[in-house]
Amino acid sequence: MKIEVDDLVMRYGATTALDRLSLNLEGGKIYGLLGRNGSGKTTLLSVLAAFRRPTGGRVRIDGQPVFENARLTERISLIRDGGATVELGSAQEAVGFAEWLRPGFDGRYARSLMALFGLDPKKSVSGMSKGQRAALGVVMGLASRAPLTMFDEAYLGMDAPSRYAFYDALLSDYLANPRTIILSTHHIEEVASLFEEVVIIDKGRLVVHEESTRLLSRGTAVTGPAAQVEAFTTGLTVLNSRRLGPTTAATIYGDLDEARLAQAAAAGLELGPIPMQDLFVHLTGERR
Amino acid sequence: MRFPSRILGGNAVFALIGAAALLTICAGAVAVITAFGNTPDSAWEKAAQAVNWYSLMVGISLAQSYLPVYLAHGQTRRRFGAQAAVAIGVFGPLLAALVTAGYLIESGIYRLIGWSQVLTRPHVFDEATQVPLVFLEYLIEFLAWLTAGAFIGSGFYRWGLGGLLTIPVAVGLVVLAEGAIGTELRLPILPHAIGVDVPQSLGTTLGVGLGTFLVGLALTWLIIRDIPVRNPKS
Repeated sequence: MKIEVDDLVMRYGATTALDRLSLNLEGGKIYGLLGRNGSGKTTLLSVLAAFRRPTGGRVRIDGQPVFENARLTERISLIRDGGATVELGSAQEAVGFAEWLRPGFDGRYARSLMALFGLDPKKSVSGMSKGQRAALGVVMGLASRAPLTMFDEAYLGMDAPSRYAFYDALLSDYLANPRTIILSTHHIEEVASLFEEVVIIDKGRLVVHEESTRLLSRGTAVTGPAAQVEAFTTGLTVLNSRRLGPTTAATIYGDLDEARLAQAAAAGLELGPIPMQDLFVHLTGERR
Repeated sequence: MRFPSRILGGNAVFALIGAAALLTICAGAVAVITAFGNTPDSAWEKAAQAVNWYSLMVGISLAQSYLPVYLAHGQTRRRFGAQAAVAIGVFGPLLAALVTAGYLIESGIYRLIGWSQVLTRPHVFDEATQVPLVFLEYLIEFLAWLTAGAFIGSGFYRWGLGGLLTIPVAVGLVVLAEGAIGTELRLPILPHAIGVDVPQSLGTTLGVGLGTFLVGLALTWLIIRDIPVRNPKS
């Protein structure tokens, strides 16, 4: 689903959560939505899912306004922290409710996912642990088969094996049923490989929106003799630098042109990729 | 629009079980009273007042429990509002029918024993066997309590403690409905009953009762028409 956000503003009293944010997503991809705590991620997703009416600006999905638009909202699923919106009866009742309310919800797939995550269908949702509720939320999101499916830290509380099971299920279901998926997360390195595009917001404003490969290409790890590394990185943006004996490993931000690449090769320096998390910290850390 | 069977199903089953439990408790209370040599008044009349509070809780749960789930599953506030109104419009008569049936059962038992079924509070009916009037009175009462619950529940869901401000309005709705059936609202926290004088005629009772229900729904809609889904607790 194509998402167009123009000059979006959301205020909670004196707090501005979204500050004239504009963004266009073509859809049909897995997007990573990254931002620090309080950056406005949850508010943005809430507006996209029509959970909230924005204070100002415009949100259109597939060219239509989303708030109170039943034909759109029944094709949108937002699962939030801990699956907080499924707390009604037992797990199987929650699934039954979803089947009843949401066209396209795949109950059979939901039940197979519940087995995958070890959820007892008869257990009361309110009596579940945080991790179990999160897993049930994830089940709801995947089984919704909604053309726009969003997970907002939905797997918070799930243990590592369950999170990895979720990532595998997400990818295989996305390949079988292509749709637009937005993942908002702080476990950046765990899911970075799934992202086709990355959106980073900070203080309610858009910082970066680009393909993840392009974003990753902006950062480079430079390793080699300390003197050569220091000479090479002079004038570049160095995110961090660590020295071990005569060797220094530095992380730099910014595109390297052909001349720089040749200089590195001539100096015997090793160039490599850096974690997306380091780029995220750089892009959002200095603005506070 | 779909029939709100998912909302009604669970609540209807609970109401049936609750009615059976209430009958059993009444039978026990009557047995205890007669053991001391007294002839009891209508126990069901007193028990039926508990159904008001149950109606209030069901109304509150509509906003607190069902509304966020509806929105989370891609439904609009408009669709939820319509389904909640239908659910109240069906559940109120169901409760009224259960209470009416309870009166008839009690009436039959009392007649078998040779007691008279003495009513101690004002009603639009004179005898519990006047089924249409019994049904009408409790229908008006339960619809008012259900909508008052939905109104209060919506207020608390939207504004948190600010929802306290909805309580006086909800009390006003209930007092008006109680006035329509010629009775007053007694709250445990207040020393005196609250009441309004409404001219007693079948037409007025029906009109005020139905009006209270519709006003309650309209006020609730004003709260939920753009209500946000709460952010998760961090």
